[in-house]
Amino acid sequence: MTAYDYFSIAHGALATISISLAAIVLGVPLGLGLALVRWSRLPVFNQFATGYVSVIRTCPSVTLALLIFFALPEVGLSLDPVPAGILTLTLSTAAFNTEIWRNALMNFPRDQYEAALSFGMSRSVRFRRIVLPQIIRASLPALVNEMTLLIKSSPAVAVIGIVEITRAAIRVGARTYEPLPPFVFALVLYSLIVFLFVMTQRYVERRYAAGAAA
Amino acid sequence: MNEFAVVWQHRDLIINGFGNTLIIVALSATGALVLGALLTIPLMSRNGAVRRIATAYVDVMRCVPFLLFVYLLYFGFPSLGLRFDNWTAGIIALTLYNTAYMGEVLRATWAGLPKELIEAGHAFGFSGLRLFRRIILPPVLYASLPLIGNQLIQVVKDSAFLTIIAVAELTHEATSLQTTYFVPFASFVAAVLLYWVTCVCIESTIGYANRYAEERR
Amino acid sequence: MLERISFRFNRRALLRALPIVAVSAVLVAGILANGLSAAHADGVADIKKRGKMMVATEDDFKPFEFMEDGVSKGYDNDLLAEVKKSLPFGVEQQVIPWAGILPGVTTGKYDIAVTAVLVTAARKPTFTFSSPVAQSTTFFATKAGSSIKKAADLEGKTVGAQAGSAMLADLKAFDASLKAKGGKGLAKIVEYPSNPEAYQDCALGRVDAVVNTEINLRSLVKEKAGVFALGEGIAKPVYIAWAMKKGNTDLAKLIDAAIIAAKKSGKMAELQMKWFGTSFKEMPDDVN
Repeated sequence: MTAYDYFSIAHGALATISISLAAIVLGVPLGLGLALVRWSRLPVFNQFATGYVSVIRTCPSVTLALLIFFALPEVGLSLDPVPAGILTLTLSTAAFNTEIWRNALMNFPRDQYEAALSFGMSRSVRFRRIVLPQIIRASLPALVNEMTLLIKSSPAVAVIGIVEITRAAIRVGARTYEPLPPFVFALVLYSLIVFLFVMTQRYVERRYAAGAAA
Repeated sequence: MNEFAVVWQHRDLIINGFGNTLIIVALSATGALVLGALLTIPLMSRNGAVRRIATAYVDVMRCVPFLLFVYLLYFGFPSLGLRFDNWTAGIIALTLYNTAYMGEVLRATWAGLPKELIEAGHAFGFSGLRLFRRIILPPVLYASLPLIGNQLIQVVKDSAFLTIIAVAELTHEATSLQTTYFVPFASFVAAVLLYWVTCVCIESTIGYANRYAEERR
Repeated sequence: MLERISFRFNRRALLRALPIVAVSAVLVAGILANGLSAAHADGVADIKKRGKMMVATEDDFKPFEFMEDGVSKGYDNDLLAEVKKSLPFGVEQQVIPWAGILPGVTTGKYDIAVTAVLVTAARKPTFTFSSPVAQSTTFFATKAGSSIKKAADLEGKTVGAQAGSAMLADLKAFDASLKAKGGKGLAKIVEYPSNPEAYQDCALGRVDAVVNTEINLRSLVKEKAGVFALGEGIAKPVYIAWAMKKGNTDLAKLIDAAIIAAKKSGKMAELQMKWFGTSFKEMPDDVN
């Protein structure tokens, strides 16, 4: 493996991280939005959100990426590979995030809600100052867990041509006919990234679990 | 010609791929469940070294993206002398990967079992493998049903990655269909719907099994 | 714990979701049935308005196109650089897997596929081809030292090809011809997403042979001397050209003019010698 090979796989790591971060930043609020739609029981939107979550949760990332990149141009939405990859990962993680947020919303203690009502708080104030901070705290461990799972499903975007870690390693292996070294290097890079997220998750769990117990 | 009509005309490709996906999922899921149940023993072992090895296996599987693992098994291992054909590599990869997750799920449930259950088992003279098989495993399995269901859905989704090593499963056949007849939308929508139907069936079955388990408890 | 939140099976919510999903699917199908056309790939006027032509190139099809040090190189890229000089607009090139290239042209995502597309009867109704850029025959290659030397030796063997390629179609036709002669045909045909994986499997012995164009296989045998051996042709010679959506005649005129100019000036022959070691003097100007 030449120096350029190491560089190209490391460059792929950069692509993996940036695409995953973009998907996380977009997917977490999107999940919250959908969870609120489900929670509020608006007539048509509620069912759309349920359907969306149900279908996307069960859809493999590879198939979703292929659908978004190759099939959507037919209905008018033609994306470049990187935006298509970000969209795939965002839609996928938002579906799971919806369930996480919904779980927190459903477990939200009703008495706090009613206490806020009795204080005459308007809906938006009540949501912003009472509900939101607490559901963020409750959902955080599961959300960080989902981020780790997102990183691990990011190789799915390799099928639409994005050169992330896995595809970079595959390219090097296809050229040298010695696939083991680049794959091992890719493994090391992935482990580092996942390790970072798992550490974050453990820290978050410890801090917020202690906070909830208090 | 209308795209969906073209797909319907060549539906044997899609059905063939779907059938293969189901076979792969059935084999891997069964293997993962059985091996995962067996894995809980070293995971809960009092012997530190054994427990650390088992935990290391689980941690490694949880760090590695599945696609990379498949590639490693299929293209990387021949350098070490182990050569599998694509079906074997795919099923082994799916099984090994999900064994770790199943093992972890079952272990967590086992750890949450009430101590009285195990103590009662000891009191009645159960020990070792009999204790595991008849006293511990049934409640663990019944209690973990929703999580096992989730993992099964994960197996279905991971099976799509096998398209990269040319296994003729659903996503691969859908891609093959759309590259030859230029019908990307219809192909992939059909594939997504079939995956959805499969997972809904799995969730239904788990739901029924869960209700049965509740009654038993 | 790295497992997902457990999904309490909510049948009522699911039953309520089902009609919406079904209705959406029917709506989408209806829209498609009425032929909602995509926003892209239109005539030269629209490309001029956009300012650039969208080009799709495969990422690994040596020596026509391949990635080296992050840059797309090869015969088609060199020829594109030559053609670009006479175009009244810029060019934006996307390097994507083969599976997306031809469907991308038909759905209008790309204006032209600047990649080695074999001109086959099956493709002519859907694509307008440029003036041909090369000529080749579908060959097979085996691992060096293999006992398979002639096309007839492929009887009962496992052969690999790229999914969605004309070489795969040729292989299937070859299989049919073997069976028609009274043999059992090929043992198995394995479809790969791209050629490097097929080559690797051949080197590992998982498939007995791979098929590709003669040009590609010669390049492979030269590059990996001692690993592969070239076999024989299994189909008739075909032309290789760039593909545009059927009916995109004004773009075809522009591109053809540039390609024919390169042919006349000798630049094309020069590039062919550089990348293929041979040149094709007697190619027609139009293969549609």
